[in-house]
Amino acid sequence: MSDFLAVHDLSFSWPGRTVLEELNFEVGPNQLVSVLGVNGAGKTTLLKCINRILSPSSGSIHLLSSDVLSMTIMDVARQVAYVPQSVGTNFPMNVFDVVLLGRRPHLQWFVGDGDRDKVSECLHFLDINDFAFRRYDQLSGGERQRVVLAKALAQEPKLYLLDEPTSDLDLKHQITTMEKIRSVVGDQTAPSSAIIAIHDIDVAARFSDKIMLLHDGKIRAYGPPKEVLTVELIAEVFGVEAEVREDSGSLRITIQAALKNEEGDGE
Amino acid sequence: MSNEQGHSLVHHRGETVTSLSVQHQERGRSQLGKIGLMCMLTALVSLVALGQGSSSQLDVFTTARIVLGLDDATSVQSAIIWELRLPRVLMAIVGGVGLATAGALMQGCLGNPLVSPLTLGVASGAALGAALAIVVGFSITSIGAFAIAGNAFVFSLLVVFIIIQLGRYRSISAESYILVGIAITFIAGAVVSTLQFFATDAQLSQLAHWSFGSLSRPDMAVVLAVGICIVALLPQAMMWSWDLNALAMGGDDFAISTGVNPMRIRRNILVLSALMTSLIIAFTGMIGFVGLAAPHMSRLIIGNDYRKLLPASAVCGAFLMVFADTIGRTLFAPIVIPVGIMLAVIGGPVFMYLLLQSKGVQR
Repeated sequence: MSDFLAVHDLSFSWPGRTVLEELNFEVGPNQLVSVLGVNGAGKTTLLKCINRILSPSSGSIHLLSSDVLSMTIMDVARQVAYVPQSVGTNFPMNVFDVVLLGRRPHLQWFVGDGDRDKVSECLHFLDINDFAFRRYDQLSGGERQRVVLAKALAQEPKLYLLDEPTSDLDLKHQITTMEKIRSVVGDQTAPSSAIIAIHDIDVAARFSDKIMLLHDGKIRAYGPPKEVLTVELIAEVFGVEAEVREDSGSLRITIQAALKNEEGDGE
Repeated sequence: MSNEQGHSLVHHRGETVTSLSVQHQERGRSQLGKIGLMCMLTALVSLVALGQGSSSQLDVFTTARIVLGLDDATSVQSAIIWELRLPRVLMAIVGGVGLATAGALMQGCLGNPLVSPLTLGVASGAALGAALAIVVGFSITSIGAFAIAGNAFVFSLLVVFIIIQLGRYRSISAESYILVGIAITFIAGAVVSTLQFFATDAQLSQLAHWSFGSLSRPDMAVVLAVGICIVALLPQAMMWSWDLNALAMGGDDFAISTGVNPMRIRRNILVLSALMTSLIIAFTGMIGFVGLAAPHMSRLIIGNDYRKLLPASAVCGAFLMVFADTIGRTLFAPIVIPVGIMLAVIGGPVFMYLLLQSKGVQR
C-alpha cells in the first residue's frame, strides 16, 4: 500500500521474552516518525530489526517495495542508515575517516573525489568541520554523536534509523540538529524518511510528522502528534501527568508530575 | 554524485568543502610517504644484516657493494651471502610481514588491542604438534625434515578449525572467540606439559629450542615457499580493510549499518590470519611479540585506517624481525640469541615507551 516503508506483523523475541509483538505500520516518503515509549518498550529493538542487526522472529519489512529481510547486508546499507545510541571504540580513527565509512556501501575500494566531497559537505552541514582531523576518542559525547550522524548522512540512505540522536547534545545542538534532520528528511528532491527513537516528548512533538507510542512491545497509538500525544495516552504509556497545549500551530508538552502506580489502571 | 541527491547540504559546497577534501588527500599521501620511508629503513637494515657474520672478509661495506652490484664477489663470498645469510634475512622479513599482518587483522576483527596472532590458540596447537613429533615421534608427514614443522602447521590449523566450527554452531561474539582460544590454549598446554613430563632430556631441550622461536639455518626453498604463500595472501587482507575499519571502529552493530556482515567477515579473517601465522611459526617456532607490537607501533605512526595500517604493519614487522635477529646474532657472537627472545628484550621496552609517549597524540 504505502510506497515507502511498510512493516507487517513484525515480531521479535529473545528466548523466553517477547519484545515486539505483531507491529504493523507504514511510513510515507519525506516523513519523520518519532518512536516514544518507556525504557524497555522495544524502541531500539524495532530500529535494529529494520536494519537487520536483529533478525525478527516473524513479519515482513518492505522498503520501496523491496523485501528488506531478504536483501544482503550491503544492499540494506545502501538504503538504510542506522545511528546507534553511542559508538565506542578501541581503535579510533579521525573524524573524516569515520564519516568516510558512510561511503563504504557506495564504493568499491578506492575513495573518489566525490566521496571526499560528500564527507566534507556532511561535516560542514553538522558544524563538525573544525575537528575533521581530530581523533574520534578525543571528542565529547555530543560531538561523537554528531560524527556518527554525519556518517549516516554521508551514506545517502532512503531511510534513517536514529536511536536517540540528540541524547548527548547540549540544548542548542538538540534543536539545531533536529532542525537539520528535519530539513534532510523534508527534501522533496531526494525522498527519504527517518524513524527516531527519542525520550524527549516535547522535541518529538515539535519535529515529527507522526508519533508511534510503543507500549509493552505493541503499538499503542500511531499518527500525527496532535492525535497521539493526548494527556490520557501520555498518562497511560509513561505514567506521568502532562500539560498539552498548542502554541502557534505546534504542540507543546510539559511534564507536570509522575503519577502514582495505582492511577494508571484506575479507569 | 551528491549534487543531484540534493539534501540541504548543497549550499555548503564550494571552497570550504574542497579544502577539507584536499586536506584529507594530502594526509593520505603523507601516510604513504611514511610507509615508503619505513620500507627504505627496512631495506637498509636488511642490507646491514647481510653484512653481519663470522666471515672476516665480508664486512658490511664489502657485502653492501656486492649486493648492490658494485663489486664482483668471489665464489666463497657469494656462497656466504646468497646461501647462508640471505635465507635467514629473507625468513626474518617474511616472518615479520606475516605475523604483523596477522596480528593487525586479528586485533581489528576482534576489536581488541590485546590480541596477537597467538591469542586464538594457534601457538598452543603448534606447540602440541611439535611436542608430539619430538617426544612421541608421531608426525603427519613421512618426510623427516618436515616432521616438526608439518605437525606444528597441521595442529595449529586444527585448533582454529575447532574454534571456527564452534563459532558456526552458535554464532559467537568477538569476546567469546578470545575466551575459547584461551580455553584451548590451556587444554593443549596441559597435553604438552604431560608429554614433557615423560620426555628425555634431549627431547626436552629440542622442544625448548623450538619454542624459543629462531631463524637458524632456514632452507632457501622453504623460505621461498612460505614467502610466496604469505605474499599471495596479502592482497586478500587488503581487500578486507574497509570491513576491518568498520568492525574495529564501531563493533558489530556499526559494521552492519555500514554494510559489513560481522560474523562472516570475522570468520574469514580469522582463517586467513591463522593460516599466515601457522605457516610461519611451523618453521620458526614461537615468535609472538612482533604480531602484537608491530601493529601497535604502526597505529602510532599511521593511525587506525586499515587501508594504510596493514601495509605499515607488514613493513614494521619485517623491520623489527630483521633488526632483532641481527642484534641477536652479533651481540654475543658467535653465540646466537634466538630472535624470539631478542624481540621481547628490545621490542618490549621500545613498545612500552611508545605507548606511554603516545597519550593524546594526534594521528
